[in-house]
Amino acid sequence: MTHTEIFEKLHEVALNPKAQMDAYLAQGKKVVLCAPVYTPEEIVHAMGFIPMGAWGGDRELNRAKEYCPAFLCSIAQSILELGMIGVYEGASAIIIPSLCDTLKTLGQNWKYAVKDIPFIPMTYPQNRKPAFGVAFTRAGYERVVAELEKLGGKFDNAALRASCEVYNRHNAAMRKLDEVLAKHPEVTAAQRSDAFKSAFFMEKSEHTAIIEELIAALEATPAGRGKKPILVSGILADAPQFNAILDEMGLYIAADDIAAQSRQYRTDVPAGDDALTALAEKFANMDNCSVLYDQEKLRVKLIVDTVKARGIAGVLVVMTKFCDPEEFDYVPIKRACEAAGIPVTIVETDRQMAHYEQARTNIETFRDMLMM
Amino acid sequence: MAEEVKKAPKPVDVNSAKYKLGKIAADAYTDAFQAKKEGKIVAWVSSNFPVEIPETLGIATVYPENQAAGIAARGAGERMCNVAEADGYSNDICAYARISLAYAKLKECPEQEVAMPDVVLCCNNICNCMIKWYENLAQDLGVPMLMLDIPFNPDYDVPQSIIDYVSAQFWDVVAKLEELFGLKWDDDKFQEVTGFSCRASRAWLAATACAKYTPSPFNGFDLLNHMAVMVTARGKETAGEAMETLYKEYMDNHANGTSTFRTEEKYRIMFEGIACWPYLRVTSTGLKSRGINMVTTIYADAFGFDYNSFEGMIRAYCSVPNAINLEKSRDKRIKLCKDNNVEGLLVHTNRSCKLWSGFMYEMSRQIGEACDIPVTSFDGDQADPRNFSEAQYDTRVQGLVEIMDANKAAKGAM
Repeated sequence: MTHTEIFEKLHEVALNPKAQMDAYLAQGKKVVLCAPVYTPEEIVHAMGFIPMGAWGGDRELNRAKEYCPAFLCSIAQSILELGMIGVYEGASAIIIPSLCDTLKTLGQNWKYAVKDIPFIPMTYPQNRKPAFGVAFTRAGYERVVAELEKLGGKFDNAALRASCEVYNRHNAAMRKLDEVLAKHPEVTAAQRSDAFKSAFFMEKSEHTAIIEELIAALEATPAGRGKKPILVSGILADAPQFNAILDEMGLYIAADDIAAQSRQYRTDVPAGDDALTALAEKFANMDNCSVLYDQEKLRVKLIVDTVKARGIAGVLVVMTKFCDPEEFDYVPIKRACEAAGIPVTIVETDRQMAHYEQARTNIETFRDMLMM
Repeated sequence: MAEEVKKAPKPVDVNSAKYKLGKIAADAYTDAFQAKKEGKIVAWVSSNFPVEIPETLGIATVYPENQAAGIAARGAGERMCNVAEADGYSNDICAYARISLAYAKLKECPEQEVAMPDVVLCCNNICNCMIKWYENLAQDLGVPMLMLDIPFNPDYDVPQSIIDYVSAQFWDVVAKLEELFGLKWDDDKFQEVTGFSCRASRAWLAATACAKYTPSPFNGFDLLNHMAVMVTARGKETAGEAMETLYKEYMDNHANGTSTFRTEEKYRIMFEGIACWPYLRVTSTGLKSRGINMVTTIYADAFGFDYNSFEGMIRAYCSVPNAINLEKSRDKRIKLCKDNNVEGLLVHTNRSCKLWSGFMYEMSRQIGEACDIPVTSFDGDQADPRNFSEAQYDTRVQGLVEIMDANKAAKGAM
């Protein structure tokens, strides 16, 4: 297949997660929903379930308002909405981590709003690096294992080790894709988004195969030219209207610091006989994210370093409205970029957003700054 | 028009709980300034951080949440929020954090000055927003941050895994403070501090439990002021003594048929959420003018750090209101409502606090059903005055009164 054909296939998956889920269910497989920002998908995979990302969807919120005040982020609200209106029907459970305050409340509301899909909490430590932090992560994973066993899953150390390898290979493919895409401005922002978004809705070895094929196809294609390279940072960047504006403005994503994209794939499971401990060590090694305690603000440095390393023209912060972890990080990001002479701007987006005119104006001004 | 007759101010009773508690709260700030002057270590500390650590190590403490509440109550919340917003902070962020980050920048605010810190001590058992706030404070001020992570517990009881994790961190923070500042942990001092903290907590719980009497011997808004001592000084000997005085005064009021709620107590409600500090008078008057006494709030329970072992102390810090699941949060409130004969629940949907407000709709529905009381809510903010409407508050409170009246009439007719 050509890279265009592969992108079309990924687009279908990214656009129709419900069809993906129904297809897995029709094959007799069980699906476990995995909410943002990080869940131990490797465990779900190893225990015989299909992990299915549940990051909400772009839609008007109605039923979720029975549970949520307006100032909760629309990602969490739309996950609840989709649960309440039956879109996730057939899922065996949902794993919701408590990595931000809104996710804590999502889990609590889920128990009453979506009673037929069990809630599995995943409690991560913020002091994740010392031995006591690793032990606590492992205890959290044991809790997830116990809950999945109640749903018919079987835990096996060797199976988890094998699943960790499946995920490590997928991580490597996604990191490679990010590098290759940085050299292909002709790939649209929407296509790039589809490549990442589809990963949440496919069994990982299936997705790895298609991404490896895409990488090969891209590497065999001469790179396009003429667009301004930017770095996007935030939780999500999958709204079609937003991505269309980037293309229209002649901007292309040469790197991302998006929670639903590259942040998922930066860290591999290390080697180790006890797979559960190795997986806990993976979490300990994770950094550079607004929901992971970061006294040194390493994330800010990573953004600046990436911009320099890839010759990127500017940083576009895509702020999910009411996401306070990201809102706190924006100020140091802005200061660091300004200090380094990197143009930076912010656009607010929302799962309920129907009109992108304000975002368009901001991005247009940003583009003009980059052209100067 | 009759000429206004000015009453002579009442002489200050230095033996009253009000005086003692006010002095302790004020001394907490002056003590930190004095410590700074003497070259001692000053920490900015989150409100539910185990106070036993800085007290035992002799570190002077400042509580930014308490400072922000004071600044907001004195009318400077919006001004300080504007400073933070001009730096790029969204107005969706907790207003306490915005005020605090503005203070870290300006290093002055006449409405409540504080000593600047040598270290910031963060505990997220109140919210994860605290982590981000303190990360930025540490960066802006160039001081170390020590983080004691108490995760939100999705289960009803505190599991051993959390106890082990938090216990290990407790000693890790102690070791880091010793190393950073050349301090020495003293077990005897620790025992003494835990004794003070428990004594203050027991007296606080006893005093707030006096709301079980009808009429209540106190105006519930008193708790919002006295709470400052439980936040800033519960590890000090004076706090226990002052809280015991408060308890005795409430018991005396009950015996004498008096109350600090100085009008007829027609209705008894629970107030849910942090106070609207910029509108304390408006929110208080809106209740008092209708004869509504806010007899209880979860604050009555929030600072009840009474324990008899190290593990018990850790368990207490893991069981503060914002660290526990819906069912446990609900049951604590149901108990308060039932113990104190509450007739209605008034919920502050606080724009600054996503965690407190995020499952409040469902929880307050369940509390209303379990206690057979009406529930109403209003929109507000703990410190940003732009997020509150007096008209909405008034309408909602009036609605609550009408339902409580109907309930009383129905009960009378039975």
